[in-house]
Amino acid sequence: MSNKNKTYNRKKVVALFFFCVITFFLLFVRLIQLMIFQSAYYTDKSVQLHERERSIKAARGRILDRNGVVLADNKTVCTISVIHSQIEDEEAVISFLCEELELSEEYVRKRVEKYSSMERIRSNVSKELGDEIREADLAGVKVDEDYKRYYPYDALGSKVLGFTGGDNQGIIGLEVIYDEYLSGEEGMILTLTDAAGIEIEAASERRQEPVPGNDLVVSLDYNIQSYATQLAKQVMATKEADRVSLIVMNPKNGEIMAMVDVPEFNLNEPYTLTPEYEALRAKEEARKQAAASDETSGEAPPEEQKTQEELKQEKLNGMWRNGCINDTYEPGSTFKVVTAAAALESGCATLADTFSCPGFIVVDDRRIRCHKVGGHGAEDFTKGICNSCNPVFVTLGLRIGAERYYDYLKQFGLLDKTGVDLPGEAGTIMHQKDAVGNVELATMSFGQSFQITPLQLATTVSSIINGGKRITPHLAVRAVDAEGNQVESFEKEAGRQIVSAETSGTMRMLLEKVVSEGGGAKAQVEGYRIGGKTATSQTLPRGSGRYIASFVGFSPADDPEVLALVVIHSPQGTYYGGQIAAPVIRQLFENVLPYLEK
Amino acid sequence: MATRFRTVQGGIRQSNNEPYFDYSLLFTVLFLIAFGLMMIYSSSSYKANLDYDDSAYFLKKQLVAALFGIAGMVVVSRVPYHVWEGFAVPAYIVSAVLIVLVKTPLGITSHGATRWIKIMGFSLQPAEVAKLGMIIFLACLVCKMGKRIRTTKGLFALLIPPGIIAVMVWKITQNMSSAIIILGIAMLMIFVASPDYKRFVIMALAGSSVIALAVFAIVKMAESPEMMEKLEFRGLRILAWLNPEAYADGKGFQTLQALYAIGSGGIFGKGLGESIQKLGFLPEAQNDMIFSIICEELGLFGAVAVILLFLLLIWRCMIIANNAPDLFGALLVVGVMGHLAIQVILNIAVCTSVIPNTGISLPFISYGGSSVMFLLVEIGIVLNVGRSIRLKDL
Repeated sequence: MSNKNKTYNRKKVVALFFFCVITFFLLFVRLIQLMIFQSAYYTDKSVQLHERERSIKAARGRILDRNGVVLADNKTVCTISVIHSQIEDEEAVISFLCEELELSEEYVRKRVEKYSSMERIRSNVSKELGDEIREADLAGVKVDEDYKRYYPYDALGSKVLGFTGGDNQGIIGLEVIYDEYLSGEEGMILTLTDAAGIEIEAASERRQEPVPGNDLVVSLDYNIQSYATQLAKQVMATKEADRVSLIVMNPKNGEIMAMVDVPEFNLNEPYTLTPEYEALRAKEEARKQAAASDETSGEAPPEEQKTQEELKQEKLNGMWRNGCINDTYEPGSTFKVVTAAAALESGCATLADTFSCPGFIVVDDRRIRCHKVGGHGAEDFTKGICNSCNPVFVTLGLRIGAERYYDYLKQFGLLDKTGVDLPGEAGTIMHQKDAVGNVELATMSFGQSFQITPLQLATTVSSIINGGKRITPHLAVRAVDAEGNQVESFEKEAGRQIVSAETSGTMRMLLEKVVSEGGGAKAQVEGYRIGGKTATSQTLPRGSGRYIASFVGFSPADDPEVLALVVIHSPQGTYYGGQIAAPVIRQLFENVLPYLEK
Repeated sequence: MATRFRTVQGGIRQSNNEPYFDYSLLFTVLFLIAFGLMMIYSSSSYKANLDYDDSAYFLKKQLVAALFGIAGMVVVSRVPYHVWEGFAVPAYIVSAVLIVLVKTPLGITSHGATRWIKIMGFSLQPAEVAKLGMIIFLACLVCKMGKRIRTTKGLFALLIPPGIIAVMVWKITQNMSSAIIILGIAMLMIFVASPDYKRFVIMALAGSSVIALAVFAIVKMAESPEMMEKLEFRGLRILAWLNPEAYADGKGFQTLQALYAIGSGGIFGKGLGESIQKLGFLPEAQNDMIFSIICEELGLFGAVAVILLFLLLIWRCMIIANNAPDLFGALLVVGVMGHLAIQVILNIAVCTSVIPNTGISLPFISYGGSSVMFLLVEIGIVLNVGRSIRLKDL
């Protein structure tokens, strides 16, 4: 045919076709890459995009005392929500929920009529009310159960146990430190949704069950803690003191049986300031103002303007502070235990040494007075400690010398933190070694011019009298899973030898003498051998007329099983440790010692 | 091919002058239309239900357009294709006028671009008219030029008319992808018409280098923040293409959602109707991105089946073109073949993120009335060229 197309046209059409074939083949290769090799990746990504997670809270582990008394528990509470698309009778739902939950109609109506997948009406509803609402069985009303932390004994051990926040996380205390054991793992309900977040009805749910947290068994003893709290409250009231800290521990292994720091607060309402704390705060403010007006310069530092919220938070932080570990104080005479132990251990002094106290001692150009104005006269080492005679301990301190004294402080563990399993432990505030002259060394020898935490003192004294092994104070004993199997043990081995067993024995004997013959007489308990040491120190700044009275005691004196320290801040009237602090420990021991023997 | 020859030879004795009719082409097209309607319903029903309270909203509109298109195809397949020779110049002028009409009150704006006009209640995309117009006009022009096509001058002269229309589509209707398709169809028709290879290879190489350079320049620009601001949306599209996950909330969103759909389909897919990406995640699921939903629901097998159907279509076009009684008929068929091939390739390439995101629909399957109607009319022309094949010529 004349008009038949030329061959090259045909060839080109074929070329075009094969070009298409090749291109299609390349696209096919790309599809294989996407749909086979990268399929898992993109499937994951799209599932993440499509799935909505609804978390299921895990039950938080309980906190139990050494005998199994539950100190922190969970309460079932309910969350009431509505699902708009499932509601059949809106008016009935609105009136029912208004009545049951005591909410305004406007509030409920807004939520019921809102077109969303799920709208929360109210959370933290009691289980009884939640059950009632569930039984009413109204279409579109959902009752979800949830857990809320609950502390059966309100304020008991509040500063030690701590509390949790809205997301089930620890805020202070043991709840923070052992959060990973207590919190468990949240479960999840995964549902497929469309782009607007609406659940696809036909799609199946994936459910991941929550893992409940482990129970934490602590060394606290509910009875001892209760009684110690009662005693601390009592002495705070009668002596109109600011604060009272009381620690009861096992000097052999460092287990803390009670730790009280009154005023405490209600763990079930941790964000409510207690009247006790408000009163203390007012007292402190008044003192501060008085001090400011006394100053001749009259220029009080400009108080930074704080918002109401910051002020509230600051107050709350103050209320939650655990004076036993978060704050430091000048230990005073109780620290003579450390000086005596260092003197004996170093060989600078023996029990046979004799001293003479004229009522003061001159160190360089300073006269350091003894608390007994007329002086104790001639006395041996034992008498010196029984009398709590300052010149004797100044002499001992100077004999040891700053270099060696510091070596002992370090050896005793006084320069480090105790390592207790509570958050925010304060460190020791001590002179720089180079800056220590004879005067500083002299004051340090009887427990002044530096600060330690009450727990540090209790721990150090424990370590000196327990045979000489440094212990780590602690609360947690073990974590136990839901079936009661031990998950982890927190028992602490006694640490390094800080004084010889011999020195330790001597110290026990000396301290027993302090109670039986010396200043600690008011700590005696009939039928028990008690050792101890009193202290009375002036609150800084000196001349404020405020004191800290304290007493550290232990029993049995020859083989101590329990050690207790009480620190009374700013008592009114009599403020001598031997007069007001020792009786607290006596009352404590009168009850605790027979109790522990059982 | 062998099968067809056997039947043809079997019939030679009695029916040398029997008209040929390419049923495989017809049924492939009808199958694709039906499959497309099904996929449009699957991918759009959820959104249609939300937006129009009628899950079959898109399906109905497309069905009407498809029926009109099929009627048009039947009519056109009976019109001797040489009639179109007379329409060549008017088709060109009408295309140009319709494009300009977009700027008049007749224009309809949708998705932020004015690409449609409304005449007597029907909305129409001038770019689709222009594609058909260009095929007829260029086939005619090439035949008129005769041997002058062999000269460089003649070659470039041929490129001018499609160039003008392409620029108009690009600039007036802001539709670069349609401009590229029109130019592409023209290039393929000229390629077939010309005996030369060298010039085309050079042009292809030059074109690729320009594109590569442009991409390189944009990537370099994106490295400095102040230059980045100057990049307009096409530049950003290219960056989003290179790294969709970095632009997941913006230009890369659609690309990434398409990849999620394709990738999550796997080998056998989630099953017809089971796509999740169509539930509002993937924009234009029933339109430019419908191939992704096919992949998600029907898997690699479904996707390959679709690709093979298009290959079958293109193969039938090749057979008809190569047996067409004259160059005009052959070029008409080559134009349609090029049109199909370019759109299918570019659409799948966009869905699989092989090239930057640009709006190109999948022939016969994607939602779009103008597109399906004009494609069916084009198939009608091809069928008529097929009819004019005398079996004795084979």
